[in-house]
Amino acid sequence: MTTSPAAHELGRRLTEKAGRYGAVLLRTYGIVLAFVVLVAVVAASSPRFATQTNIFNLFSEWAPAGIMAVAMTFVILAGGFDLSIASGFSLCAVTAAAVGRAQDPAVAFLAALGVGLAIGLVNGVLVEGAKINPFITTVGTGFVLNGIALVATGNIAYLVDNPDFGTIGAGRWHGFPYAGMILIFCLVAGGLVLAKTVYGQSIYAVGGNAEASRLSGIRVGTTVGSTYVLSGLSMGVAGSITASQLNSAQANINPNIVFDVITIVVVGGTSLAGGIGSMWRTAVGLGIIATISNAFSLADVNPDYQDIVKGCIIIGALALDVYARRLAGRTRTRPRQVTRRTYRAQSPRRRA
Amino acid sequence: MVLSTRGIHKSFPGVRALHDVDFDLRAGEIHGLVGSNGAGKSTLVRIITGAHDADAGLLEAFGHKVRHGDPRARRRAGIAAIYQELTIVPELSAAANVFLGRPLHRGPFVSRSETHRAFRQLTTRLGLAIDPDVRAASLSVANQQMLEMLRALAADHRILVMDEPTASLGPAERERLYETIRGLREEGVATVFVSHHLDEVLALCDRVSVMRDGELVATEPVERWTKDSLVTAMLGHVLVKPPPLRRTIAEEEVLRVEGLSVPGVLADISFTLRRGEILGLGGLVGSGRTELLRALAGADADADGRLLVRGRERAWPRTVRSALALGIALAPEARKSQGLVLSLSAAANVSLTDMRTVASGPLLRERTRLRRAAEIMRSLGFGASRLREPAGSFSGGNQQKLVVGKWLHRRPEVLLMDEFTRGIDVGGKAEMLAVVTRLAGEGMSIIIVSSELEELVEGADRILVLARGRLIGELGRADASVERILRLVFEVERS
Repeated sequence: MTTSPAAHELGRRLTEKAGRYGAVLLRTYGIVLAFVVLVAVVAASSPRFATQTNIFNLFSEWAPAGIMAVAMTFVILAGGFDLSIASGFSLCAVTAAAVGRAQDPAVAFLAALGVGLAIGLVNGVLVEGAKINPFITTVGTGFVLNGIALVATGNIAYLVDNPDFGTIGAGRWHGFPYAGMILIFCLVAGGLVLAKTVYGQSIYAVGGNAEASRLSGIRVGTTVGSTYVLSGLSMGVAGSITASQLNSAQANINPNIVFDVITIVVVGGTSLAGGIGSMWRTAVGLGIIATISNAFSLADVNPDYQDIVKGCIIIGALALDVYARRLAGRTRTRPRQVTRRTYRAQSPRRRA
Repeated sequence: MVLSTRGIHKSFPGVRALHDVDFDLRAGEIHGLVGSNGAGKSTLVRIITGAHDADAGLLEAFGHKVRHGDPRARRRAGIAAIYQELTIVPELSAAANVFLGRPLHRGPFVSRSETHRAFRQLTTRLGLAIDPDVRAASLSVANQQMLEMLRALAADHRILVMDEPTASLGPAERERLYETIRGLREEGVATVFVSHHLDEVLALCDRVSVMRDGELVATEPVERWTKDSLVTAMLGHVLVKPPPLRRTIAEEEVLRVEGLSVPGVLADISFTLRRGEILGLGGLVGSGRTELLRALAGADADADGRLLVRGRERAWPRTVRSALALGIALAPEARKSQGLVLSLSAAANVSLTDMRTVASGPLLRERTRLRRAAEIMRSLGFGASRLREPAGSFSGGNQQKLVVGKWLHRRPEVLLMDEFTRGIDVGGKAEMLAVVTRLAGEGMSIIIVSSELEELVEGADRILVLARGRLIGELGRADASVERILRLVFEVERS
């Protein structure tokens, strides 16, 4: 059978188009593909992975880091960075436990939220009011908060024996942890705010180009500062959940959580330069990190190896990001929306 | 023939950027390359310099085939590129910048005396006076550009590719650049000179090639070209200039500025602006035009003066938001760094100036936003089908339209437009002037700044001339001309 040259040409164009479309799709959703493959591999190699109990437990385990990653997505998209979250998180947890020993759990968690809010306000004012570099500012406040937690507790663990205190962290509804629900709520709400609101749009704008945003009349300082407040509040929520899960809290409760949180955001593909990224990416990043560490514990591997793998993943994700951007630069972004027809319509001949 | 391309093809997804381009560059010639926005000039330049790969075709330099895809191979082949965005290391000295990457050394140590000697030799060759020890950042843009040219000369590059090198230069600096390029020609360097400024192309180049819709439509010696024939070749038809719209300027005074000063930049500037008036600011680069606009727009916290808006005295705006509240908006000169958020879509950029009108409460209404952006951008001759694409993917001319579109969305009473036609082709410039005239006809008061003084003369109702941060003259439409502006300026500059 022979095909006419026209049909051949049409076929060639279609394959070419499909190839390009595929490249765009892969660039945008490659991280989802990676996640699906990872889950499939882990599920195939460990029968205990894809069980309801295991998955539900993962939600419970990763709720604190995930909730802080939601806020960190806001901070990074707006062009900032918050390294004070580990100390802030443990100070909030300590606050919840200390207040929870004498008071109603609700009061304890509100107190933790209050401390988180205060931390966020201080960070926001220092970074945007005093215009100090966010890395340095938040490393500094991190030290201070850590010191406050140590001094205030004398580095002793506060135990809470009120059984109601454990509800928010360890309570479950039909087996699904309340903490997981809070996490899902934060992800969905955060995603909607970023994608659908004026505030979300301002965050993308100031992260993408602060000067252009300022000249457009956007309140750059307030917008960026507010993301640190969100980050502070997320420390309060995450600290409360952890204290509740453990029925206790201590200064320095999990100093590595800051790296988990940043890894989650970055692995998802949100750019550290600001302005580019989204909440679903953070959700996928969380899924990837949670699955990998779960795979290690299911396989009974020495947890110290995890850190090596995590480190490699961060570097790999950033390398991939740079590579994808280079590809994107070469082929322009979102080619599928430019058609021959629309291009002609813009050619100067038609315009004039 | 030092450089030639044969049958170069290049497509971006859905866009045919270059089609069968045969381009020749002879030894020791200055070869002009002109064309409208999107005609393929930049793509061709990028292929020659190795920033892009051609899909098909051959590139030869000095008779050797140049492999695709490696800018360093180009450098070895003796091709140097100077883009609008300069590649100067601001913290290094002028001399260190010239010998960047290949420092003159004695053993492991950089030889200062040797570097100075070589630097002086190069500058005298081109008749320049630049201090080798001065920090590159403290030099003017024009002098930084000279450093790049010296760098190409130091590396003994025989082919120089310049993409719109004069866009950010004033008249005097341009003259010096032309002299330098001519000097390089004497040394046997071949130059590809890309520019939207047809007068300079005709004055400077030996041969001129015209591109249109991705094809190289003609290459002729410069004697055979005229400005009109170039425009015709670029657009593919005869450009009809729209007759200037007759407007009546209202008597109402929208803005009165008295004694505006910015320490060290502007001194005691007073003027008025009426409703529907187009006021031009003339002067050389560094005369304070941009600073005047920024002070009015609240972008400069040091500004002070007396300001009356529609007859009412107001505190001088110190923030952009307070200026916007008074109805004063700035379309800045640097589109990419100040005008647009390149990562956001075109539609999002347009609505950025006033998001409340495309939102209900805190929720953005995407459809309303797209419709509104489409309405605005269509009136600027901008294809509405690409509004979802990121602003960074558009050509310079279309980006400029987006910057203007942003402010059409908010409709300020006073619009300040800095270098409002920079980097736009002939057709686009005429369009932009028509847009400005139309807006003024609708009652907007506009202040325009342009280094192309012809545009001010053509577009403005009145021109204020600035020099060294002072107001030195005012010309009405009847007596405005480029010559008069320059004469006023040079009287001050010479003293």
